[in-house]
Amino acid sequence: MMKLPPLRIYALAYLVFLYAPIVLLPIFAFNDGTIIAFPLKGFTTEWFAQMFHNDTLGRALKNSLIIAVSSAVMATCFGIFAARAGSRFNFPGKGGIIGLIMLPLVLPEIIVAVSLLVVLLGMGVTLSIFTVMLGHILICTPYAIAILNTAFNSLDRSLEEAAYDLGESKLSTFRLITLPLVMPGLISSFLISFTISLDEFIIAFFLAGNEPTLPTYIFSQLRFPKQIPMIMALGTCLVLASIVLLTIAEYFRRRGIAKTGGKDTGGFL
Amino acid sequence: MTTRPTMIEFRDVHKYYGDYHALRGITAQIRAGEFFSLLGPSGCGKTTLLRTIAGFEDISSGAVLIDGKDMSLVPANKRPTNMVFQSYAIFPHLSVEQNVAFGLRRDTRPQAEKDKMVAEALEMVGLKGYGARAAHALSGGQRQRVALARALILKPKVLLLDEPLSALDKKMREQMQVELIKLQRQVGITFVLVTHDQEEALVMSDRIAVMFEGEIAQLADPETLYRRPNSRRVADFIGVMNFLPAKVLSEANGHIQVEAAGLGSFDIEAQQAPGEITGGEASVGFRPETLTILYEGQTAQDRETAGTIDEVVYYGDMTYYDVKLDGVEAPVRISMRNVFGRPVLDVGTRTRVAWSPGALVLFR
Repeated sequence: MMKLPPLRIYALAYLVFLYAPIVLLPIFAFNDGTIIAFPLKGFTTEWFAQMFHNDTLGRALKNSLIIAVSSAVMATCFGIFAARAGSRFNFPGKGGIIGLIMLPLVLPEIIVAVSLLVVLLGMGVTLSIFTVMLGHILICTPYAIAILNTAFNSLDRSLEEAAYDLGESKLSTFRLITLPLVMPGLISSFLISFTISLDEFIIAFFLAGNEPTLPTYIFSQLRFPKQIPMIMALGTCLVLASIVLLTIAEYFRRRGIAKTGGKDTGGFL
Repeated sequence: MTTRPTMIEFRDVHKYYGDYHALRGITAQIRAGEFFSLLGPSGCGKTTLLRTIAGFEDISSGAVLIDGKDMSLVPANKRPTNMVFQSYAIFPHLSVEQNVAFGLRRDTRPQAEKDKMVAEALEMVGLKGYGARAAHALSGGQRQRVALARALILKPKVLLLDEPLSALDKKMREQMQVELIKLQRQVGITFVLVTHDQEEALVMSDRIAVMFEGEIAQLADPETLYRRPNSRRVADFIGVMNFLPAKVLSEANGHIQVEAAGLGSFDIEAQQAPGEITGGEASVGFRPETLTILYEGQTAQDRETAGTIDEVVYYGDMTYYDVKLDGVEAPVRISMRNVFGRPVLDVGTRTRVAWSPGALVLFR
C-alpha cells in the first residue's frame, strides 16, 4: 500500500498545477474541433497544416528567430567581456559596475520596455525588429554574464599562465586554452539567451512597431476563437523546441564539467 | 664544488601592490645548474619573487637578469624559463601527450622529431606509455610528472617550481623529492623551488634563501642554515632550536666569553655569533640533537649540566625529552636516538646533560 504523506501530496499537486495546462496543448492541437473543451472530437493535423501555411505567422517566426539569434550572440559576446573582466581583473568601482549590469535581471520588464520606448522615440529611431533586439540584448546580457561568470571563475588562472609560459601569445592562449574550456558555458549562455528572447512579450510588444514577433502574434490571434486550435499547435511546437534547447544547454554544461574533471555545483536542470 | 657562473641575478628588486610592499630590496644571485629554494612562511613574498623570474609579475624597481640579460622588457612567453605550477595547470581538455607537446607548437622541427621528444620527456618523468590518457583522469602525482615533462621539454635555462609538492600526501611527497633531485642532476638545469616546508628545502636544495616579509633573511647552503642561522627568526623557522638567555662577558682575539642561564660561563668562537656582538644581553641557541642525556656511568666529553626531565615524547626511532636545566625555568628540548638497550626515561627523573660550547650559536 502506498502512503501519501502531506509533503508528497503537495509535490504532486504542484507538478499537476505546473504541467496540466502544458499537457492540454498537444491534446487540443490534435483535436478535430474549434472549441477548446472536452469531450474531444477526433484526431486531426489540420491545425498544424494551417499553421505552416499562415504567412503572418511565418513572418513572425522569422522575425523572432532573427531577434533571438542576434540577441543571443550579442548578449553572449558582452557576457564574455563582463565575465572575463569580473573574474580576472580588479578595478575601481568593479562591484558597482557589475551590479548595474546585472540590474535588468530584477528590473520589471515593463519598466525597461517603457523607458526604452521613450528614449528611442525621443531619439527619433523607427521601431523595428532592431529596436526589439536592443531590448532583448539588454535583458539577456545579465543571464549570459551569470552563466559565463561560473565558466570563467572555475577556470584556473594558472592554465592561461602555463600556456603563455610555454611560448604562446595572449591571443593564442585565449584561443587554445580559455575558449575551449569555457565553450560549454558559451553554448549554454547562447541557448538560454535565445530562449529568453524567443518568448519575450512585453519588450517586443512595445518596441516592434508594426513587425510581429511570435509572442505578439500569438497574443493578437487570441481574439479570434477559430484561430485558437492553431495557436495550440504552435504552442506544442514551441514547448518541444524549448525542451530540446534546454536539454542541449544542460548537456553541454555537464559535459564541460566532466571534461575538466570538476564537480557539479548547480545548473538549470 | 667549484663556483658556477650566475644564472639569475636580482638587483635591489622592489615590488609594490598599491601600498603593500611585497618585495623589499631583493639582491641575490642564483648559480647555473643549482637547485635553489625560496623558503618562507606564507605571505613572505617567495612566490612573488619566483613570478618575477617567470615574468608573470612586473617589478616596481630594480632588475632581474637571466643569464646576464635584463628581463625588464622580455615578456613571460619569451623568457628562457618554464614553470611548474602549484595546481600543475594541466590543460584538462588535452591528452597527456598534447599537454607535454604544447610548448613545441611553435617549433619548426618535423613532427616525427617532436613525437620523439615527447616520448623521451614522458619516459624521463616515469610516464612512458601514458601519452594517450586524458589529462583529467590522472592522479596528483602523475599530474605533477606531466607538468614537469611539459616544462622541461623546451629545455629552459631555468625551471621554476611553485610549491609543486604541497598537494601530495606525505609518502608521495618524499618520493617526489628524491625524484626531483635526481631529475635536476640528470638535466643540469637550474631549478628554483618555492616552498614553505623547511624540511623539503633542506632535503632538496644546494642553497636556500629564507625570506620574511619581502626580504631575504639568510641565503646559505642547508648545513650552514641549520647549524649557523644568522638570526633567532631563521633559527626558529628551520627545525627546532632551544634558546637560553645569555650575557656577553668579553670579546677578544676571535673569542667571545659568554655566560648563559643554566650553562654557566664558557668561551665560543666569533663565527658562532652572526651579526655584531657588542656585549650585553643576548641568547644562546642550540639544536635538540646537540645535547645528550647522560646515562648511569657515562661521562660528558666536554661540559655537563644537571636537570630534571619535564616531558617525554616517544616517536619510535627517537625520543624527545623536555628537560629543565637547574636554574632555568623554561625547559629545553633534547632529542635522543632510541638505540637498543637504552631505556626511555620517566618524567621527573634527575639527569645530567652533556653539551659542547662549539655547537652553540649566539644571537643578539
